[in-house]
Amino acid sequence: MAALGLNKLLDLSFSRSYDKFDRKATQIGLDLCGGRKKLLTISSPKTNDALSWIGKNLSSAENRLILGASALMTQPFIDAANKDVDSETRKISICRTIAKILAGTFTGYSIRKLCIKSIDSFTKSPDEILPNMKFKKFRSLLLPGLKYTADELSQYKNALGTLLALGVMIFTNFLIDAPLTKFLTNLFANKGGVNDKSK
Amino acid sequence: MINPNKLFLNFKNTILTKYGPNPAKMLIYTGVLGWFLSSAAQVVAIAVNDKIPKEQKMFLIPQEISDGAINVLSFFLVTSAIKNFSSKLVSTGKLANPKIREFLSKTGLNVEKGLGQTKFNIESMANYDVIKDEYKSFKNGVDVIGMTLGSILSCNIITPVLRNKYAADRQQKNLAQLNKLEQERLKSPRGISMDTYQKYAAMKFSNRSSSNLKI
Repeated sequence: MAALGLNKLLDLSFSRSYDKFDRKATQIGLDLCGGRKKLLTISSPKTNDALSWIGKNLSSAENRLILGASALMTQPFIDAANKDVDSETRKISICRTIAKILAGTFTGYSIRKLCIKSIDSFTKSPDEILPNMKFKKFRSLLLPGLKYTADELSQYKNALGTLLALGVMIFTNFLIDAPLTKFLTNLFANKGGVNDKSK
Repeated sequence: MINPNKLFLNFKNTILTKYGPNPAKMLIYTGVLGWFLSSAAQVVAIAVNDKIPKEQKMFLIPQEISDGAINVLSFFLVTSAIKNFSSKLVSTGKLANPKIREFLSKTGLNVEKGLGQTKFNIESMANYDVIKDEYKSFKNGVDVIGMTLGSILSCNIITPVLRNKYAADRQQKNLAQLNKLEQERLKSPRGISMDTYQKYAAMKFSNRSSSNLKI
């Protein structure tokens, strides 16, 4: 009992210390942004419109695409600069990294996008259901039961679509991602003239 | 008794209330899950690949596991930290658009009265509802940008640097172990054929590189 109490106390004191540290670190960060006494205002209407658009429309699919594109711009160069391995290993490492990024981004983006689109087809409000639509009965199946704004519904569709995509990706990671990575690694290694017995 | 319809409705409502107002949070959780699944697939793909020799599997599997672990960890720590900092920039009033700034000025708030301090939160203001839509739209945009920049930093810079360091260490250790085994065999070659002996001898005197272990 006493040990339990002590554990709880230690947990609490750790949690308090962490909160204190977190608050202090955040405050230092905030103060560093333009100075302690300065408040920052984004006055450009274009930037504000862009921010608002990003908040509303950037789903996990676009996020995956951005990550993939930026990965292509950084990871192969990090591998190329890795002097801890010999040149053959470095070359095959670059080929595998590029292959992994391309395969992962291709499947990640397309599956997320398809799943979000599928969810969208079954979250229609009654006034959105047209007479010529198929499966009319199921078009509102995924609508939530609470009140929501248009923005919240749009984020809800993205979240549900992304969850569905994660379920689908349990299979496609094995069926598409991994074999495609292997195929592309071999292709790049052959093109790059890498002498690799293990391809 | 469990009612499936009620469960389904609860699930939909939870997704709406948890992620509807906060898309960046959803991107972090699903991102972490996505990396985890992807690494698991790569590990299984290596493990079941007959064409990869056992020695290389010994290197490639820990490398993939470390890649996934570092990715998930740095995604959670770095990306979350940057996303939370972006949120704080907006919620403390340090960063705002002209409409939010005007609203804050009208309520008589400035730096001396707590703006830009971690204790201050626009969402706790009594008249928050007046600016709620404008604020949410601005904050979501800043959050998603913070989250995306955090992801780029953690997944595309921190992870590959740490992963390469770890993989190189493993490769050195594995190669040292392999060389030791081969040299022991060369010292006492009894019980092996002439062909095998000659192969070992050739291996010892050839100029070997570590490229037989591939990433």
